[in-house]
Amino acid sequence: MRQELKDSNFEVVTIACDAKGRAAVEPFIEAAHQMHPSLLDEKLAVAELYDVRNVPAAFWIDETGRMVRANDPIYAQKRNRETGEVTLNREYMDAVRDWVAKGSASDYVMNEHGLDARMPALDSDDVQAAAFFQLGTYLAMHGHSADALVHFKRAHARRPENWTYKRQAWSLGDIERDYGTTFQEAVKDPASGPFYPPLDLGDHRKG
Amino acid sequence: MSAATILYQQSETRVEDAEEDGTKLWLTLADLTAATGWTLKPEGVCKDEICVPAPDARRAALIRDGASGTLLDLTEFARLIEQPFAHDEKSSVWYFGPAGWEWKTKLSSRRAPDFVLPDIAGKPHTLAELLGKKLLILFWASW
Repeated sequence: MRQELKDSNFEVVTIACDAKGRAAVEPFIEAAHQMHPSLLDEKLAVAELYDVRNVPAAFWIDETGRMVRANDPIYAQKRNRETGEVTLNREYMDAVRDWVAKGSASDYVMNEHGLDARMPALDSDDVQAAAFFQLGTYLAMHGHSADALVHFKRAHARRPENWTYKRQAWSLGDIERDYGTTFQEAVKDPASGPFYPPLDLGDHRKG
Repeated sequence: MSAATILYQQSETRVEDAEEDGTKLWLTLADLTAATGWTLKPEGVCKDEICVPAPDARRAALIRDGASGTLLDLTEFARLIEQPFAHDEKSSVWYFGPAGWEWKTKLSSRRAPDFVLPDIAGKPHTLAELLGKKLLILFWASW
C-alpha cells in the first residue's frame, strides 16, 4: 500500500504499543523490511492520547495536522505470524486510496460527529483506569509483576472495553494463572464489548 | 520521611524526603518542583503560565508546615485539578496522570494530538515533523 501511494504525498507511520519495548517489536519491524517511520510507544502514552482501545487501530491525519478519520479497527484479513506483516481489509485499502486521491472531498473523511463517535469524551473513570494501567505497567517492567496485577485489574474493571489494557497486562503475566480466565472466555465477556467491532466505512458526513 | 518514586505523566523522579501518610503524599517544596514542575507561590500552585489558587477551605489539606519546612500534599493537589492518580504502597510508587483541563479538552480542536516517540534506533520523531503528507497512523503490538 505504501509502495503504491508513496508518490502521492502519503506516508504510513506505525506505532508499536509494547511495554517490552524494542526487544519485543524489533523482530517484526526487521522481518517486514519497513521503509516508513516505525515508532515505539512503550508506555502506551500516545495510544492513550489517541484513545486506542485495541490494536490494530488506524487514524488519518491530513497535511495540516487535522484528524480526518479515527480509530478504525482495521483487523487484518491476514497476519503473517513470522513477519507480523498485515494484509489490510480490501475495502479499507480502497477507502485509503479514495482519500489520497480526493483529500477532504473523500466520502471517507469524517465530520465532527463521526470523530466524536470514534473518540468519545473521557470521564473520570476512564482516566482513573489509565492511571492504574500506567502504574501497573511500571511495576511489571520493574520486576514487581505480582504487585502490578492489582492495578491492572483495577484498570480492567473501570474500563472493560479497553482491550489494550488487557492484552498488554496478559502479555506481562499469565492470563489463566493471574486473571483466572482464558482469552476465549475474556473475548465473550459481554462487559467488554466486541473484541472485533465491525469495520464501519459508512457515510460519516451525515453524522 | 521516606523515599518515593513519582511518575508524573512522562517523567520519573525519586524523592528522598516524602511523607507518605496512607493515601497522602506530602512533599517538600523542592521535591514538588523537581518531581512535577509545580511551584508554590503566594498566588497559588504555579507552572508556566498556569496558577491554581489554593481555596481557603482546602488550604489546610493541601499545605502544612513540617519539621523541615512547608509541605504540600500532592494527592490533594491532584484532586484539586481533577488529576487521576494511583499508588502502590509496597513499592512507594505514585503515578499522576493528566490534569482535568488536559483530559477534558484533548480533542476539541480536531487537531491530531502531537507526540514525540523514538524509532527503534532511538531517534525521536514528532508528529509535527511528519506533517505535510497525508498520514495513515497505524497502532499495533506484538502481543
